[in-house]
Amino acid sequence: MTFDFIEPVVFALLSIGVIAGGVAVVMLNRITAAALLMAFTFLCMAGMFVLLGAETIAAFQVLIYVGAITVLILYGVMFTKFSDSPRALFFQKQTPLAAIFVAAVAVPIVVVGTLSFTGAPPRAGGGDLPALATSVFTDFAFPFEIASVLLLAAMVGAIVLTRRDDPDEAAMRRRR
Amino acid sequence: MTVPLGAYIAVSAVLFFTGCAGVLVRRNAVVILMCVELMLNAANLALVAFSRKYGSIDERGSVFVVFVFVIAAAEVAVGLGIILSAYRNRPVVDVDEIHQMKG
Amino acid sequence: MPVGPFGIDPFIWAPLRLVIAVGLALFLILNGALLQIYLERKIQAIIQDRLGPYHVGPFGLLQTFADALKLIAKEDVRAAATDGWFFVAAPALVFCPMLASWAVLPFAQDIVGTNLNIGLLYLTTLGSMTVLGIVIAGWASNNKYALVGGLRSAGQLISYEIPQILALVSVALVVGSLSMIDITRSQTGPFVNVLILPFSFLIYFIAALAETNRTPFDLPEAESELVAGWLTEYSGMRWGTMLALSEYGNVTVVCAIITTLWFGGWQGPGVDAFPLLGVLWFTLKVYGFIVVMMWIRATLPRLRIDQLMSFCWKGLIPMALVNIVAVATLALAFPNTLVPIAIANWLLVVVFVGGIPFVQRRRLASLRARARASAAPAVRAAS
Repeated sequence: MTFDFIEPVVFALLSIGVIAGGVAVVMLNRITAAALLMAFTFLCMAGMFVLLGAETIAAFQVLIYVGAITVLILYGVMFTKFSDSPRALFFQKQTPLAAIFVAAVAVPIVVVGTLSFTGAPPRAGGGDLPALATSVFTDFAFPFEIASVLLLAAMVGAIVLTRRDDPDEAAMRRRR
Repeated sequence: MTVPLGAYIAVSAVLFFTGCAGVLVRRNAVVILMCVELMLNAANLALVAFSRKYGSIDERGSVFVVFVFVIAAAEVAVGLGIILSAYRNRPVVDVDEIHQMKG
Repeated sequence: MPVGPFGIDPFIWAPLRLVIAVGLALFLILNGALLQIYLERKIQAIIQDRLGPYHVGPFGLLQTFADALKLIAKEDVRAAATDGWFFVAAPALVFCPMLASWAVLPFAQDIVGTNLNIGLLYLTTLGSMTVLGIVIAGWASNNKYALVGGLRSAGQLISYEIPQILALVSVALVVGSLSMIDITRSQTGPFVNVLILPFSFLIYFIAALAETNRTPFDLPEAESELVAGWLTEYSGMRWGTMLALSEYGNVTVVCAIITTLWFGGWQGPGVDAFPLLGVLWFTLKVYGFIVVMMWIRATLPRLRIDQLMSFCWKGLIPMALVNIVAVATLALAFPNTLVPIAIANWLLVVVFVGGIPFVQRRRLASLRARARASAAPAVRAAS
């Protein structure tokens, strides 16, 4: 008995996890549960990257998404309180229209996508860290530097946006 | 029997459109941000799957994925900063109620 | 497919091997936690000039065993307002990444769970997953002290990940690989990496103390602060899992990383002849560092949250960045020899350690000036 059945089974389980997590984020009323299920989606996505042979990308996925972005979103959830007025439906007024529109666009794309790319992905790779690093630092050095500046701008912007006004500074500004 | 490329594309597309529906349909700004992250993840999955089939030896597909990670992280940070500072002004996080820029 | 011992059918051996591996890791974690709790109490007792546990078993060796039995038998007290699934899931979220990181620790020449070629990246990734469990624990307890404690702890952990990763990157720069086995093998004989990169070792050691919530950075779980912070609502074996197993497991993993990267891992006299002796050397080195961490715990006072954060962002991260720039520049300039890197690193250690009195004197003067400027006229006249 060979072990060939493992890859499709693992793929099926992971894809169920990914899609169930995504649907849960969209449909759940409790935001903290939605945030944790989003983290579960990210973990299953990392599993799919490993299945595709890209272990380095999987490690980065967990490090950045589960380790940092989920915590940021949880902070955002904890510091804001969704209104609990009686009219607090969690979905907007245009829900039925949006659902029809998305289904109309999604179904053809999914069907066409599945049918046009038959044949197995042939090469195992993408987990090769030296090749990836060489590429980033030689061919793509300019986008890398721009990305660093972007991160710096994002950090400074986030700090400036969330700074509370110092009462002494506000008094000085008013006096001027 | 290995998994065909179309299956990965199907999962990526379904996840992308789920996130898209979430952005159009939910009212909480933080949940909209979460759905945008889902869309970015779906794009990453499609990139990695294609990079495995058509990729070259210098891993250009994976480089693109790394840059998408960087941009997604920066976007979440700034997006949450915007939401929190708007929340400090008027404590609502419901996009139906903060769509007016006055006040 | 691996054929098992005694010619077991590979179809059975593959999952059985996995179960045995996880069981072995759990066994090591549990016994390690037992031993470390006992060591901690005895070492603190000796340093504080008292006796420590001596009642249960010879020299009190069975004390932790008795404590564990008591914890397991305790009633599971759960406040009614806690958040159901999250409250129960949080200890698991804190424990599982630590369990998973035992897979890449190299105990001896061929005794490693799996030789991942991204071993260090894998360990860093798992370290960052623990933050999620702590935030969930604080949130699910439905208790404002727990929430604030959880958010503070998360802030501390994500801040100190940065100098940790920067220190690991400098080692990877010098060695040229992220695989734990390659890093160990690159240190031949007595020329262990700490002679080449002592500053990275210092940065990583301090950042690791903060990552594992050990004193002097244990504000989130100290008993006198915030009523035990994010652990407040956890009792019995939930507390046991979160605190004892996860924290001491994390300490073991971190000390294993330190031994592998800077002190030669499993190498020692006699390892070439008897490969299994590597396990003994590895364990001795790891426990040596654990004893040093406990010694530091018994000696140093605790840092406040703002002192801790400013030390990380204004102290450790700039030094770690200077370290990486120096190591990378010298590695490119002198590609065949490691001596310039070693000299630069030792110089940085001297600057860092020797510069502390000057920095402290200036900070004290500025604090005094600020106090004088804003205090009441009577105090101002007095000082």
